[in-house]
Amino acid sequence: MSSKNIRPQDMGKQSEQLCKIENLMPLPAPYDKPGMEPEFSETKDKWKEGYCATLDGFVGNDTLKRPESKEEEQEMVKRFLNGMEKLFEEDTNRGMLQPFMLSFEYCAKCNTCSEACHVYKSSGEAEIYRPIFRSEVLRKLYKKHKQGGSLISRFVGGDIDINIETIMRLGELAYRCNLCRRCAQTCPLGLDNGLLAREIRKVFSMELGIAPKPLHESGTMKQLQTGSSTGITKEAFLDMIEFMEDDIYDMTGKKYKVPIDKKGADILLVHNAGEYMAWPENPAAFTIIMEEAGLNWTLSSDMIGYDNVNYGLFYDDVQGKKIGAAQLKAAKELGVRRVVQAECGHAHKASLVSQDRIAIGEDNVPRESFLPLLEEIIKKKVLKLDPSKNNFPVTLHDPCNIVRMMGIVKPQREILKAIAPQFREMTPHGVNNYCCGGGSGFAIMNSFNFEDFRNKVSSRMKFKQILDAFQDTIEDEETPKYVCAPCSNCKGAIRDILEYYQATAKFNLHYGGLVELVVNAMVDIDKPFMEFLKDEEDMMF
Amino acid sequence: MFLTLFAYFSILAFIGLTLLKVYQFAKMPMHGRWELYPVPKEGGGRGHYGGSYYEEKEWWNKPRNVSHAGEVIDMLKEMLFIKNLFVNQRRQWWICYALHLGIYVLFVWTFMLFVGAGTELAGISVAAATGGWGSLVYYATFLAGVVGAILLAVGAAGMFLKRLSDDKLKKYTTPQEYFNLLFLFAVAASGLVVWSGDIGFNYGREIIIGMLTLSPIQADAALTIHIILLGAVMIYIPQTKMSHYVGKYFAFHKVLWENEPNLKNSEMEEVVKGALGYQPKTGVKWSAPHINPTATSDK
Repeated sequence: MSSKNIRPQDMGKQSEQLCKIENLMPLPAPYDKPGMEPEFSETKDKWKEGYCATLDGFVGNDTLKRPESKEEEQEMVKRFLNGMEKLFEEDTNRGMLQPFMLSFEYCAKCNTCSEACHVYKSSGEAEIYRPIFRSEVLRKLYKKHKQGGSLISRFVGGDIDINIETIMRLGELAYRCNLCRRCAQTCPLGLDNGLLAREIRKVFSMELGIAPKPLHESGTMKQLQTGSSTGITKEAFLDMIEFMEDDIYDMTGKKYKVPIDKKGADILLVHNAGEYMAWPENPAAFTIIMEEAGLNWTLSSDMIGYDNVNYGLFYDDVQGKKIGAAQLKAAKELGVRRVVQAECGHAHKASLVSQDRIAIGEDNVPRESFLPLLEEIIKKKVLKLDPSKNNFPVTLHDPCNIVRMMGIVKPQREILKAIAPQFREMTPHGVNNYCCGGGSGFAIMNSFNFEDFRNKVSSRMKFKQILDAFQDTIEDEETPKYVCAPCSNCKGAIRDILEYYQATAKFNLHYGGLVELVVNAMVDIDKPFMEFLKDEEDMMF
Repeated sequence: MFLTLFAYFSILAFIGLTLLKVYQFAKMPMHGRWELYPVPKEGGGRGHYGGSYYEEKEWWNKPRNVSHAGEVIDMLKEMLFIKNLFVNQRRQWWICYALHLGIYVLFVWTFMLFVGAGTELAGISVAAATGGWGSLVYYATFLAGVVGAILLAVGAAGMFLKRLSDDKLKKYTTPQEYFNLLFLFAVAASGLVVWSGDIGFNYGREIIIGMLTLSPIQADAALTIHIILLGAVMIYIPQTKMSHYVGKYFAFHKVLWENEPNLKNSEMEEVVKGALGYQPKTGVKWSAPHINPTATSDK
């Protein structure tokens, strides 16, 4: 079946693979030439047997295991239907009932949302990635479940097979949406297919205990057990900070003592703990800025206080609330005046927006983004900066959670204008940006062949935007180009596409955060702060 | 007399069922924040580029800059002109807007029928040739009725045909959605048939007079069918997703544009406090092991 001819009703029909991506959206130069892009890898038989590869050949949900008997199949279908009903109940879905019901009931199916979706467009408009496709499957399932196979049921759209194939495929399809909510911006009725995708994820996680391991087992569960989704314990965290202090000294010749658990500090700075492992230069740059600006700040080594990650945001309300409450508790116990979120998009939203409805009074410690704080530091010229040190092309990626879902648009631009003379915008940008393709957990979901989907499909529009932004210099290998992505998950996704397409090796295309650029522009730090700017002599340190 | 009572019933049903829908959404519990920018009520120009109060350092210590005018203007653009469809799907907008504009104009027509009925009950004739107020009411009613009905008929038929012929729309259209469009078309078409025998809409004013004076409506077969179809659609609309005039309000105002922060000693803090104290009524819980370790699958 052509990827364009699939109907929601086909989700329950037996086939080895419902959809095959055929015509990927073309990429701009120099990736418009044959051989520049790796092909999809084959789906292994083992994956097909054990998981759900029958949707599009990718396996993203690595706990969605194929039942081994008819009884198990029936049990799984039954449990899914039980869970689906709970979406409509006040006791079980109180926190999302109204938004859910509105999006469930009122879609006019005008397909306006499709044109806004980067996954749909990048895939060459494969039907299953159309934002309303999965929503319509959910609607049909519910109507069929409630009204059976009656004429009335078919009349209102309850015309889908309720079987294991439909459920399994829907469990995968819920993880083909980045929850970027760009589609919702265009809906004439204000409805949200991203929300419905998340609600489907909730049914699988909260009723069946099925969610991708990187999000659940190795994500929220590990965070609740050890303090961090990375598995970093308090002891390991303290060691890492010591290493970081040494690294900063090696890089800059400056000695800083990172304040930890400083009671009553003005600011508790919270990072995505993944930064300490993958991009330690980012918390290092924050340390330099906070210290040089003379701020009264601290990090926390308390349980969960040193990791602002909250993957519950992506798939599970209960996990999200547990982690959010623990993070607020850590801030309160430290007695800080405010919490400042460092460069992590989903943590921004989880902390400032989602947690805004789970605490009151003294438990509700004020929380803000690092961006207005950094903007003020730059504007007040607290740091001595020389923008010419950043005299190479720089573009900005807008993390969906910080920009579209929180309305923080201008501060990062004011900062870049002050420190990066060759700053240029992507098109589109700001609240109309495209997701990096790693949103809603995709950046850390690397099971089986899911990386292929991310790199070639969900991150494709972002890669196109990056290439477009640097068209004037992309093939000039001597000129370094920098994608500024002030978000850990976005950085992870962009790191992967630059590696996958060998864009760093071939075209001197780099990525990183915002604070690294600020520190790189500091006058009293002699050596370049970012790796790609260092010459061989610098690299010896 | 049946038609008079039916007309009253259908109007009351439309209003009552619509209010019920409003009540059902309004009484839903406070939900988690799910806003999406641009939020037009963000003041200081932020509503235009999608900014928010989070752009300010220590935002909780700053006065909220809210532009209610910005919110109303954006809502009106969406309600009156279906702006998002205009911007993102111009071709579909023409047909869709014809249908919606037809309904709006027919509301004006209904209002003019009431004005005309009142005028006639006051002893002033409403006709083309009377001159003055009577002619003004006559022509305004005529224009609104003809334009509204034609727009509605063209819009409903156009959307029906587009949904039937465009594969992208067809595969998502349920039988009920085709039926809804045909229903609207039938109402407009039957109205045009009746109108063709009485282009001044005198029958319309007679119906209103009948309703206002609680006297029987004189109707031939065509008019009887039209009144029944019109009444039936008014009873039907609030029970279907054609009641999106209700949903749209909540979707924008209470979800996408609801970014009221939970500040200390604020009204929102009281709302959150109430929500945090909620006691489940049914005892039904999610069953996954990390939530409810004792749950059994047959729960």
